[in-house]
Amino acid sequence: MKYVWMILLCFSLFPGCGEDGSAIKVDLTKKELVILKEEPDVITYAYLPQYSHTVSHTRHHSLIQYLRKETGLNIKQIFPDTFDEHMKMVGRKKIDISFSNPFIYVKIAKRYGANAFARIVEMNGKESFRGQIISRMDNASIQTLSDCRNKSWIAVDSTSAGGYLYPLGHFFDHGITKKDFQEIAFAPGPGGKQEKVVLSVYAGKYDIGTIREGTLDVVADKINVKNIKIISMTDPYPGWVYAARKNLDKKIVEKIQQALEKLDFNHKQHREILEAANFIKVITSSDSDFDEVRKLADKVGMNLEE
Amino acid sequence: MKLGFRNKIYLGFFSLLLIQGLVIFFWASQVMKISLLEEIKNRGISIGINLSARMVEPMLAMDFLRMKVLVDETVELGDDIFYTFVLDRDDTPLIHTFKEGFPIALKTANHVLDNQKVSVQLIDTGDQLIYDYAVPVFINDSRLGTLRLGLFQTRAEKAVNKILISAIITIISAIFIAGIVGTLLLNPVTKSIKKLYGSSEQALRGNLDVRTAPMLKKNCWDLMQCHQKNCPAYKNYHHRCWYMAGTLCPTCVEGEYAKKIDSCRQCQVYKRFSGDEIQSLAESFDAMILSLKGNLSDLKAAESILNEQKTLLQIILDAIPDFISLQDHEGRYISVNRAFYKMLNKNKEEIIGKVNYDLFSRVQAELYNKEDKTVLETRIPLVKENRVAGQKGIKWLHVVKIPVLETEDRVRGLVCSGRDITELKIVQEQLTQAQKMESVGRLAAGVAHEINTPLGIILGYAQLLLEDVEKDGQIYKDVAIIAKQTKLCSKIVADLLNFSRSTQRNITQFNINDAIKEVLSMIEHTFSLNHVIVKHEYDKNPLLMRGDKEKLKQVFINLLNNAFDAIEENGSIIVNTGTGDTQDEIKISISDTGCGISKDNIRNIFEPFYTTKGPDQGTGLGLSVTFGIIKEHNGTIKAYSPPLSGNKKNGGTQFIVELPSSLNTKKGERNG
Repeated sequence: MKYVWMILLCFSLFPGCGEDGSAIKVDLTKKELVILKEEPDVITYAYLPQYSHTVSHTRHHSLIQYLRKETGLNIKQIFPDTFDEHMKMVGRKKIDISFSNPFIYVKIAKRYGANAFARIVEMNGKESFRGQIISRMDNASIQTLSDCRNKSWIAVDSTSAGGYLYPLGHFFDHGITKKDFQEIAFAPGPGGKQEKVVLSVYAGKYDIGTIREGTLDVVADKINVKNIKIISMTDPYPGWVYAARKNLDKKIVEKIQQALEKLDFNHKQHREILEAANFIKVITSSDSDFDEVRKLADKVGMNLEE
Repeated sequence: MKLGFRNKIYLGFFSLLLIQGLVIFFWASQVMKISLLEEIKNRGISIGINLSARMVEPMLAMDFLRMKVLVDETVELGDDIFYTFVLDRDDTPLIHTFKEGFPIALKTANHVLDNQKVSVQLIDTGDQLIYDYAVPVFINDSRLGTLRLGLFQTRAEKAVNKILISAIITIISAIFIAGIVGTLLLNPVTKSIKKLYGSSEQALRGNLDVRTAPMLKKNCWDLMQCHQKNCPAYKNYHHRCWYMAGTLCPTCVEGEYAKKIDSCRQCQVYKRFSGDEIQSLAESFDAMILSLKGNLSDLKAAESILNEQKTLLQIILDAIPDFISLQDHEGRYISVNRAFYKMLNKNKEEIIGKVNYDLFSRVQAELYNKEDKTVLETRIPLVKENRVAGQKGIKWLHVVKIPVLETEDRVRGLVCSGRDITELKIVQEQLTQAQKMESVGRLAAGVAHEINTPLGIILGYAQLLLEDVEKDGQIYKDVAIIAKQTKLCSKIVADLLNFSRSTQRNITQFNINDAIKEVLSMIEHTFSLNHVIVKHEYDKNPLLMRGDKEKLKQVFINLLNNAFDAIEENGSIIVNTGTGDTQDEIKISISDTGCGISKDNIRNIFEPFYTTKGPDQGTGLGLSVTFGIIKEHNGTIKAYSPPLSGNKKNGGTQFIVELPSSLNTKKGERNG
């Protein structure tokens, strides 16, 4: 009998195999079809997806909140996956306010009648920005611009300004045409294309890459940017531009323009918004400010309708 | 039912393994289950968090296709994932994996706050238990919505159960394997113990020719290259040399196991051939049995000797006519001999263990106890003579009580021996009487010698007077009486002189028959006057003997006169002569038909001066003189009343005289 007690004692030392917590009963039989309801009076705001949506959101989330508050409009940021989609969404009126590079702008202005109403001042205080030609630091065969001949080139997008159009014009000015490259590739989509160019060169997949000014700062947390060298810088061109889609209520455009231009880098709250958005000021702009870009495109043989 | 050693070991072994297995199973399974469930939970959390991170971009882009692909891919990750869906900030489902509509109730089944990383809730759908994981989808600080993931708990438990079943199978297999290994290890042990038990039982039954240890395969003589055939260990395949005494190895110490084992432990034979504990036990048991056998044999021999000695001692003790007893210090009888228990008319068993009060009268017992106590206390032997009056008359016992010392300080008991000295006492009395009679005889002889002369003178003068006086006168009669009485006195004096004085012996060889015939011719006529007839029957052969014929004739005269006196008138006397039991003896029987002799008187008839006759008829010396003459001739005389032969009712007495025949003497002389 004492052995039985011993065995029972052994078992009593181990708690039962019960389940922790109690289950709540859920009836799965009642079902519904999911239908998304469109919000009325929404002003859609899109940032050309040169970076990932997360970066886009991070940069412009505070600004959207500011604009919503400042204008009283139901402004909502949307995230097109590609430059092309961005342009098409402007055309389909899915994007009311487009924040894009000058090259895209001249395209949507030409294709869909978009109209520029403001442009930014870069963090360096310049109203224009440049493109950069980069390679790996340890690539000894590329020291000058002319060394880029017969090399493989990765550009941001065929619609990118700083990442393709400006460097293409820069090469052109230095007597290097598309044919002089071994290969011209574009970063795969969607989103994050600027970063992808840097990462491709860093990985050694391509000899050179072209990015807009400031991209290396964005990828500084991902790679050691010291391993990347800048071969050449393009000439400056007008910076990023705010454009309203065709037929957007002018009052809305004005409200937004005023709110944007109201942003003051010296204002503490505005400064946080501007630093997040990576510019220091928004100034009034018009379509004619981008004629230089149109000329450049024309020079390198780009068709804005394509 | 009692379990055997083997079964006990098995039971203990399997119980231990089972308990250990169960403990490990319950403990490990519990730990495994907790860990596994935790792992499953963590897996759900991990999948949820991962999916949540991946869901940010499509949610920002409102890319339903990508969202759909992501949730579907997640569900396909494993069978245990039931569902995945995404809620927007307003808990409106954006995308889900349910094929036939979204279950409404699921939306509110689990909530996760902004500051929570994840929320896990167990959901019971009726058919299944599901872990529901709610993970917030954040972009920076902005919450885009909630990702929900459902994992089957039952499937998780199935996985756990699979592991548990594996664990049980592993444990059972381990027990089984351990059992087989244990059996293989235990078998030789239990077999040896069983054999040991069997041998022990055989030994207890008395069979000491048992062999417990297996026959030795490795042997000392091979290792030591020894050829000493007279060594007890040589070619002994059953006992190890270190258990045996008298081994002849130069390194061996003389003596038995206890003396030599320390030395043997240093020997290479011991170091190489001594087995494990079980084998050593079996070998030492065999050695012990061998030693026991030897000791038992010695013991039996000693016991046999002891028993023989004991029997001899008892025989001696029983043969001794003296009674002997041994008492312990409390007076209890431990041992007695035959004479003792015969004296008490009891069996030996009735005496052993008893005390004096059980065997003797209270008065006697008290006396004996007192004596015993004194002897035990003083340790001085007691010697005394006891007069005991019993049914068979008065007996005299010579008793000695001697203390038996166990040690110098302690008395074990006492030995009492007693001897019947009744006859000795009688002889002593007779001796005293004889000495007295001898003195009286000498005195009487002296007196007789002195008065013989005056008696002769008186008789002479009386006879002269008789011649002078008239025969018819009164004087003649008176003088005749004087002469007669004087003659009687002379005869008494002559008998006294014969009794006290050893006269000159005249030894010749003669025929007894002749001597008897001469006596009868003298007295037959006188006897016939009183109508007493003497019948005689002589042996046909002459019964020659050497001796004093005249003295022997006196013997026959005395016996015939006594017979005549006993008959008085009208009777017969029968005289027979012949050889005794052997040809060396002459047997003469004289029997009469007289009044006979009483039993009390017949014992004393040969004593001097003992007579049953009247004062003027006998001196009481006749049979004493007869006894003396027969003794002198190395013969015997016995009196029987009534006679041995003839009609006993008629009474009478028979005297049988046995005398040595000269035939033997002749042979002896010839030989000598």
